[in-house]
Amino acid sequence: MSPKTSEENYADLSFEEAIKRLNETVEKLEAGKLTLSDATKLYEEGIKLARACTEKITAAEMRITQIRTTYGEQMRMYDEDEAEEDDEDES
Amino acid sequence: MALILTVSKLSKYLKDLLLSDTMLQDVWVSGEVGNFTRSAAGHSYFTMREGTSATLRCVMFRNAGGGAEHLAEGVAVIIHGRMAIYEQRGDLQLIADIVQPEGVGELQLKLEQLKLKLEKEGLFEQSRKRDIPVFPQKIGVITSPSGAVWHDIQSIISRRYPQVELLLAPTQVQGEGAVPGIVEAFQALKDVKGLDVIIVARGGGSLEDLWAFNEEEVARAIFTSGVPVISAVGHETDYSIADMVADMRAPTPSVAAEMAVPDRRELLGDIAGAVREASMIVTGMLTEGQDDIERLQTRLERAAPDMDTQRQRVDDLLRAAASHLRHAVNAEKAGVQSLGHRLTALSPKAILTRGYAIVETAATGGIVSDASRLKPDDAVEVTLAEGGFDATVKKVR
Repeated sequence: MSPKTSEENYADLSFEEAIKRLNETVEKLEAGKLTLSDATKLYEEGIKLARACTEKITAAEMRITQIRTTYGEQMRMYDEDEAEEDDEDES
Repeated sequence: MALILTVSKLSKYLKDLLLSDTMLQDVWVSGEVGNFTRSAAGHSYFTMREGTSATLRCVMFRNAGGGAEHLAEGVAVIIHGRMAIYEQRGDLQLIADIVQPEGVGELQLKLEQLKLKLEKEGLFEQSRKRDIPVFPQKIGVITSPSGAVWHDIQSIISRRYPQVELLLAPTQVQGEGAVPGIVEAFQALKDVKGLDVIIVARGGGSLEDLWAFNEEEVARAIFTSGVPVISAVGHETDYSIADMVADMRAPTPSVAAEMAVPDRRELLGDIAGAVREASMIVTGMLTEGQDDIERLQTRLERAAPDMDTQRQRVDDLLRAAASHLRHAVNAEKAGVQSLGHRLTALSPKAILTRGYAIVETAATGGIVSDASRLKPDDAVEVTLAEGGFDATVKKVR
């Protein structure tokens, strides 16, 4: 697997999955009994996961959607009436 | 012939009669508590009095419902319960499940009654409360779109964790349209795919203002929600039935928003902590590796029969030779010194000091060691340890 593909895989992970794997990576390192080369590989993976996590929670803007309800519709119609009245006032 | 009943049959008949009367099975009665005792098992026995004109035997079993703490001798209370016959004694008595102090409003009594009903049905069961997802992606919000509550929820969530989509299901939260509005909002959110949690919220107000959240239909809407519900109704001290049914109760709408999402600043701290931890471990391993290498190198140097060993042997030999030389030189030096001493001992001057004298012929200057070389009247020079003198030979022996 080329390094590029693995980077892409990290980006595809959900934040939840990425932070879970980051914690698992640290736990594996903490448990010890690893060869230096395995530990280094894990460390590199951890850094990539940490970067993916950080990117995921620093980006993004909150989205707001309004669900259709009777009251919501009433309010919308009321707002439109108000707006029309305002237009009339201006003209 | 008149029908003759046994006592137990008559009692049974009375019991059935009471059970068939819906009013007597769901009755409120006001009065003053008397003859109050509480058994070791925790059941309360008392009579309800109205002055001296009427009394009613009452019992409230432990865990029967709410408000047993209001019972005390002489206090005015309102009690809810059902009428029954205690067959062994033939006593008519009220089996109470709610006790409220006299003077509380009708709403409060209604609230207590609904609370008891829903509790018996298991709507407040702790075991059915679901966990709020830690990393939600879609959050439903049921509240008024115009109030401060909706504004606060938006600003808190966008500050803490803007990785979410908020789905507002707008509704009235007080007045006549509130109950159907809230129920409709829950229904509308059922159609949202991937919804993680619902916040149902309303700001502070009087018991009447918050009343919709004490209605059975709202309680059931929360109970049947497909996703966990966080309820935040009124202020910290207000406890609504909605709060009791919800999977989680928040003291205020702002706290509900905080409970619904993690704080990304904390998460960033956690991520940094994990990286720090991993770095420390790997750095530790590398340092250890380096130490191992150094130890191995030392051992290797000791074990290998390389040129260094040869060189060292030469060194050793040279050192030994040098040492020998030094010793030899020192010995020579000592020899020379002792020789010097010996030479000093051999000097004629030293002999002269012992009283000897040197005789030389004045004519030839040779030391005279044989008397036959002299004849009378030869001039000789005699040297002593200190000074000397000239003399003439008188006679040769």
